[in-house]
Amino acid sequence: MAAPKDAGAPLALRSLAWACAAFGGGVLLHIDRVPAWASLTCGVLILWRLAAVRRGLWLPGPLARSLLALGMAAVVLARFHTLSGLTAGTTLLLLMAALKLLETRRTRDELVLIGAGLFLLLAACLDRQDLGRAPLYALQGWLCCAALAVLATPSLSSRAALALAGRTLLIALPLAIALFVFFPRLPGSFWAIPRGTTALTGLSDSMTPGSIAQLVGDYSVAFRVRFEGPRPQALLYWRGPVLHEFDGRTWRRTEAALRARPRVEFLGEPVRYHVALEPTRRRFWFTLDLPAQSAGTRTSLTYDYTLMAADPVIEPTAYEGLSFLGSRAVDPLSAGSRREDTALPGGANPRTRELAQRLHAQSGTDSGYVTAVLDYLRRGGFVYSLEPQPLGADAVDDLLFRTREGFCGHYASAFVTLMRAAAVPARVVTGYLGGEWNPIGEFMEVRQADAHAWAEVWLQGRGWTRIDPTAVVAPERLTRGMLQLMPDAFSASERLLYGPGWLGGVLQRWEAASAWWADHVVRFDYASQLDLLTRFGVRSPDGRHLGWGFTAALCGWLAFMAWSTGRRSRRARPDALARAYRRLCGKLARVAPPRAPHQGPLAYAEIVLAERPDLRPGVATLFERYAQLRFGPAAAGAAEVADFARAVRRLAVPARARD
Amino acid sequence: MADAAAKGFWRRLNPLAPLTAALGARTAAWVRRRQGEDQLPVQLQRRRLYILPTRGGVAFGALVFVMLLAGLNYTNSLALFLTFTLAAFALVAMQLCHRNLLGVRVTALQAPAVFAQRPATLLVSLANDAATPRLRLEAGLEGAPRARADLRANTQALLAVALAPQARGVVRIARVRIATAHPFGLFRAWTWVHAPLELLVYPAAAGALPMPHAGAHRAGTRSRGGAEQDEWQGLRPFRDGDSPRQVDWKAYAREAPLLVKEYQAVGSDLRWFDFAQLPGLDTEARLQQLARWLVDAEAGGERYGLTLPGVRIPSDRGPEHRHRCLAQLARFGEAP
Repeated sequence: MAAPKDAGAPLALRSLAWACAAFGGGVLLHIDRVPAWASLTCGVLILWRLAAVRRGLWLPGPLARSLLALGMAAVVLARFHTLSGLTAGTTLLLLMAALKLLETRRTRDELVLIGAGLFLLLAACLDRQDLGRAPLYALQGWLCCAALAVLATPSLSSRAALALAGRTLLIALPLAIALFVFFPRLPGSFWAIPRGTTALTGLSDSMTPGSIAQLVGDYSVAFRVRFEGPRPQALLYWRGPVLHEFDGRTWRRTEAALRARPRVEFLGEPVRYHVALEPTRRRFWFTLDLPAQSAGTRTSLTYDYTLMAADPVIEPTAYEGLSFLGSRAVDPLSAGSRREDTALPGGANPRTRELAQRLHAQSGTDSGYVTAVLDYLRRGGFVYSLEPQPLGADAVDDLLFRTREGFCGHYASAFVTLMRAAAVPARVVTGYLGGEWNPIGEFMEVRQADAHAWAEVWLQGRGWTRIDPTAVVAPERLTRGMLQLMPDAFSASERLLYGPGWLGGVLQRWEAASAWWADHVVRFDYASQLDLLTRFGVRSPDGRHLGWGFTAALCGWLAFMAWSTGRRSRRARPDALARAYRRLCGKLARVAPPRAPHQGPLAYAEIVLAERPDLRPGVATLFERYAQLRFGPAAAGAAEVADFARAVRRLAVPARARD
Repeated sequence: MADAAAKGFWRRLNPLAPLTAALGARTAAWVRRRQGEDQLPVQLQRRRLYILPTRGGVAFGALVFVMLLAGLNYTNSLALFLTFTLAAFALVAMQLCHRNLLGVRVTALQAPAVFAQRPATLLVSLANDAATPRLRLEAGLEGAPRARADLRANTQALLAVALAPQARGVVRIARVRIATAHPFGLFRAWTWVHAPLELLVYPAAAGALPMPHAGAHRAGTRSRGGAEQDEWQGLRPFRDGDSPRQVDWKAYAREAPLLVKEYQAVGSDLRWFDFAQLPGLDTEARLQQLARWLVDAEAGGERYGLTLPGVRIPSDRGPEHRHRCLAQLARFGEAP
């Protein structure tokens, strides 16, 4: 071995390999998150170190290592512009641990590597929490614990170390679950959390005609909804940001926080539901059209009935919604709103304006005009297409009179432009349409592919009225998912997975399990803790009850462990042969001195026979048989032992010798 | 070596060192008081087992604490679950470590006598009566390297603890530590066995003075070199303390192991070794010379006796006698 041996325990290849495995497992958890060169560096350093032990390769000295460390930190800094974000921090940890590997000399250094493996596991937990990754995390934890066992007890075989670590973790699991349930969660953070600022895919607060089409291929879940009571049978429009400002191409939200929300009269039955929203890094939450109240103190309902949170959604969020499927305005439209929602960029789309004025003049009323425009779209030969031809400077003119093909965003945009051109207040609403019902989990899954855009028009006497121009161009869009409608938008594997059939059924089950995991494990918080206590019969639970539960769980478990230790440490029950032998000695002790612990079977036989020579025929053979069975070259078979025991039982020991 | 020297330096520099030493002594006295003296064999009971985290265990605890903070800060359930799993894992590891030592039987402690400046050994016999194996049991003294052994179910093991070479005299071993860090090295459970044990350290066999002539009644019949008058007994392996003069160098030159020629004395030579008859040497040198003679005389198969101030061992021969004489040398000057 070329590795210099220190006074401490010299490194063995096996324990080093285990430490490397624990660390390498941690690296693998991040392989798609950290830059490829970082994971590659780790792999190379691990191989180098193992080869150094095996073959005696050169290892860098302290100076080279320091330079390497500084260089790597500089590269990470140059790449991420920070060292504190989750990805940057993980990359740095990974590289530094790999460098530490080069100076592993003793067991302590190997422990550092296993610690790095556990820390990488923690970072992975912070990064992603979906059910599919949970087994990976469990494996990594198991690997680290087994590596600890190998380090502490090198005589353990790898299989024994894995078994030992697995058993220990299994024993620990009930306590871990109890601690998890009862450990009081703190609301808020101790220190500011560096968060990524780039928005994730999903709806944004602006819309160009093509932006929604980009989402269609994305089959990831946007949010899940669980209804209280029966699922509404009507079409479900999930309301997101409402867009007012139009520059001829892009629709945008307006920040008008101070504007009063016009009162409406809700019609029909209330729908109560629970939404589990995936992170969007944007502030708006989605509600069923039309929401009746905000979802707590951290959110507010804007004047155009968008649910806005104070902070961006950076982690899975759960909230409760109350909506009505119908509504009627009570207040008249304010002048400000009318001005905002009839504004059009001056001079753009002249042919559209001309068409609007003509149609409005023909129909007379606003509602008649809406019908006329929808008729125009229905009959005008318009096509629903994911990849329409690009539009020119006057985008709406181009769509209506030249290309005649587009996606929901195109038609919503064109419809609202037509309305505004005739001075009818109108706005674009973005959100999601429909969703997939999961019968196993009994929830509705709304995916990014369900993204949609529609219009709202102010009609006298009714207020804001939802009009979906896509419905007249492609009515099937409303009733069928995007997958059936436009299979080409999806990859083959997605078609196989999400389409109907056996795989789809398996997938639904998996989605249901994922939803359960997300609801009950990932989002398990203080409120869930109190909720659980209520279910256990605690009247008005608070933090103290959690503390008691925590203590009780800990004490109960410790008591159980102490009890089982006491049970285990008792002497092993003697085997059948030993029991029979004890019986034999017990019988003979009535007529001869009892056997002393140091006396072997043949020595004791001598003593007994010296006392009672008349017993020789039976007793001498029994002792010889015992010696043969216990100490003989062949292992004693069960039948022979049983035979011996029977012979012992049958042995008659008369109290006095027959003369 | 440089590493060890540096370690010593830092230990001397540590301002808390006297404090920890005093604390250690107090703890040792307390442990001795509450446990009392042990009669071997001793089965390790719960009351006498102590357990504390190792350095690795403390580091593991710190890691789990940092994880807890991160999990709470990010309100991340999975991170918290990982934290609690590791914490529970450590608790189970503690129980397993304790269980690994609980019920072990210490059947015997032995410290075979040894010559000065020779590596000494402490032999610890452990027995496992349980049906489960007990791995990685350690035995040792404070500050000495530990010996380790695995005990399978229903087996015994003999652990040889290497001790540093000692100066002549009687080394009293007040207590022996039996410990284990199995299974995960996060905790170390240990116990102290207070069985009085003496390690006799004979004086090193040294000195070149000629052996005094045989006793008066057989004066002149045999000299040290006159092996040819003795009856050839055979060869036996070299043992510590054998005289180089008796080594079969010819055999050694033929690449045989180091062998010693043994002779049975014809008749019975009698030699008398007297401490008082070695003037001009200091005490230790006298003892070493006496040891040299004793070893040689025994190896030569002669009968010999020993006189020390206040002690007189009648002449005899054999390993028992040799040990009796050397033990007296080892105990020389010891307070009665």
